[in-house]
Amino acid sequence: MHPLTVPGTLDSLKAIANYVITVATEVGLDKKSIYRLRLAVDEVATNIILHGYQASGIQGNLQVNAAFDESKLEIVIEDTTPLYDPYQTEAQISAQDPSRPLEDRSLGGLGLYLAIHGVDQFSYERLGDQNRTIFVVHCAPATSQESVARTLQNPEHP
Amino acid sequence: MVFSATSEIINNTAIITLSGELDASSAPDFKSEVEKVTERGLIRLVLRMADLDYMASAGLRVFIFAKQKLGSDKEIYVVSPQEMVLDTLEKTGFHNRLVIVDSYDPTTSP
Repeated sequence: MHPLTVPGTLDSLKAIANYVITVATEVGLDKKSIYRLRLAVDEVATNIILHGYQASGIQGNLQVNAAFDESKLEIVIEDTTPLYDPYQTEAQISAQDPSRPLEDRSLGGLGLYLAIHGVDQFSYERLGDQNRTIFVVHCAPATSQESVARTLQNPEHP
Repeated sequence: MVFSATSEIINNTAIITLSGELDASSAPDFKSEVEKVTERGLIRLVLRMADLDYMASAGLRVFIFAKQKLGSDKEIYVVSPQEMVLDTLEKTGFHNRLVIVDSYDPTTSP
């Protein structure tokens, strides 16, 4: 699948979502995994646009790449916003008490929390002047799906 | 699907019906609808969400904003959220602070 390059504005979120949904559907992910992956990518893209580009007053693009094999789908977002550390923000939100009243909740970090917990592997790296955020979702191996199907069809002879 | 938020007020209850996809680009529309209805002396806010197919954290931020506008003694009802939207509410602990119901009838509720 060709990479998608879009300007770092909120109007680009729809195109990014469509790209991720298309790839994930092609790979054969189930609906819940597709939703969570789309949410994860959407949250990180939103952070890059709002806190990376808009907050620092710079213009730039987001490039979204997809690569997949039999075992996994990997989505990578690349941007040229200043360095950021998603793990630090995630740690802050994780430390929040989930029973806290909504009106006392901190507004930051919710998106990254959902991003990190929505995929099988989440990683971040700084490469030159680029941030690379990587999302990995494992695909169920075809063989095990087939064996489940066989088991369901022939419950007495798995 | 394009996001839409429409509101009405019945018996001092504000009802906002949400549909489509709620992300950071559409959240300002939801927020302005909340601002519009919470200007008045409400007893609760009801969000009809059966047709809301997607919600990002930008939507959760509007929930926090709504709660701050309403006051901590007023409830926010979430009516019939779709499975994955509910999943997000549960993961973030928001479900503890909302009243999640299958249906809501403003004419029979006190």
